Amino acid sequence: MKRDLLILFSLAGWALAVPHYASEFAVSMALTCLMYATLSSSWSLFCGSTRYLSLATSAFFGIGAYAGALLLEHVSWLVAIALGGTIAAAVAVLMGLAVLHLRGTYFAVLTFGMTELIHHAITYWEKQVTGTVGRVLTVVPERDTVYLTMLALAVAAVLVSIAVRRSRFGLAMAGIGADEQRAQTLGVNTRLVKVAGFALTAAFAGAVGAVMSVRWTYIDPATVFNPFIGFQTVLIALVGGAATLWGPLIAAVVFSLLAETLRLQVPQLYMMSLGLLLILCVLYLPGGLASLRWQTFGLWRDDVRDWWRDLRRPAEKKVAP
Amino acid sequence: MNGHALLEAREVSVRFGGLTAVDDVSAAFAPGELVGIIGPNGAGKTTFFNALSGVIAPTSGELFALGRRLTGAAPHRYAQQGIARTFQTPRVFASLSVQANVDFGLQFAGRNRQASWLLKDTASILNLIGLTAQAALPAGAITPSQQRLLEIGMALATRPKLLLLDEVAAGLAESEVEAMAQLIRRLRDELDLTVIWIEHAVTTLMRHVERVIVLHQGRKIADGSPAEVVRNAEVVEAYLGDEMTEAA
Repeated sequence: MKRDLLILFSLAGWALAVPHYASEFAVSMALTCLMYATLSSSWSLFCGSTRYLSLATSAFFGIGAYAGALLLEHVSWLVAIALGGTIAAAVAVLMGLAVLHLRGTYFAVLTFGMTELIHHAITYWEKQVTGTVGRVLTVVPERDTVYLTMLALAVAAVLVSIAVRRSRFGLAMAGIGADEQRAQTLGVNTRLVKVAGFALTAAFAGAVGAVMSVRWTYIDPATVFNPFIGFQTVLIALVGGAATLWGPLIAAVVFSLLAETLRLQVPQLYMMSLGLLLILCVLYLPGGLASLRWQTFGLWRDDVRDWWRDLRRPAEKKVAP
Repeated sequence: MNGHALLEAREVSVRFGGLTAVDDVSAAFAPGELVGIIGPNGAGKTTFFNALSGVIAPTSGELFALGRRLTGAAPHRYAQQGIARTFQTPRVFASLSVQANVDFGLQFAGRNRQASWLLKDTASILNLIGLTAQAALPAGAITPSQQRLLEIGMALATRPKLLLLDEVAAGLAESEVEAMAQLIRRLRDELDLTVIWIEHAVTTLMRHVERVIVLHQGRKIADGSPAEVVRNAEVVEAYLGDEMTEAA
């Protein structure tokens, strides 16, 4: 606990200094890092502990982005972000009431379906009602304001994760992840806990969306409801270790750096390495990067040695008469 | 029994598609009773338990706890009303420690309920079920018979008035079965719990309970003291005949 806070504040202090010395490109890269760090830590907060795999992150992100873009002309920066998060959380409550009794693949597919539904409903509304497809943001805050807000959100996401892990709410979510029915018979109001957890995740995604909308200055449904944002959040959390506190954060940094460097030159290579890393992690490191220890390498070495010995044994038999 | 029964099932039926697993069963349980439920495989014992603990909502019929209607409520509401259960195959949280497993119930259903000093905290519950030495081990690492005890400890942590035990003695060695029966009697006597105990091994059960309910093909065919039940012609016919007379 104390150690976690210490790590968090030293990382935050370091990130705080970035805009002062780094290049424009580095700041933009750091912003992406922070964005995915926030998204995947808050995703893990609910989905990692309850094992409800939600693919709706891009829906909440998009809702937040749209809300932020529309509201920023009328209200202040921070209020717009808070409202973006609140509206996303409200949508999550409705969505959660509808689909959180489903488990596993059904839940994942339905959250993805609802994301598409929201995406297309907004596209339709834009075309029919307002007669436009995208929006140009006229009021845009300074680069440093955007960066610092995102940093604050990332710190908040980790702080909330630390607090929730130590609370009854966190215990209830862990119980749901381990054996939902057993948790119910021990007195957990699982429906309430699930909807609240889902809404908490959505609030962060919505707030992140509201912050990111000003980065793009022009937004349309296809950009902000891009399912890739949702998928990448899930991949980062799984590769990093969704059940851990720091895993999603480490993976967010690794992935964002990979993404920014590779995507520009060789986009296919980025997607390929993403897929490969996921497969390797699921097969050989189910606890994610955060579960990696020095012993893990030892175990792998032993595995390879055993495999090599097995491979050679039949050959030795052949030599013997 | 004055006023309301602790738990009452009125004409409860549970159907799965065309199959009627529990058929129009009524039963009332008074405070401090030790009741056994027996029946051949597929008689609907576990399904009846699932209905009594809210895990399955009955297709028809009503459930009341101390006069309060509970039909269709979520399982956590049953737990809050003081109805606790164990599962036939132990469903402990394998990655948590034994201690944390017990603590779970105390954090939720047992949190605001008054309790006997025997259920004061995690340590006293562990002491009661005899797992103090295993407290720090992960629940997945203890033996299956210890896991059965832990199941009971988890249920006790909700500080119940009524405890539903689903085949807690199945697969235990002779001496362990006797110890389990002693523990169950002790829970009833010292905690004043109502205990409803399903067991496949009729002989063990008959020795310890004061009242037996016999289920057969989902229906209740007998309800009375062990001595009465074994003389019931329908029970003898439906059930296993010899084993029954042996038990009496």
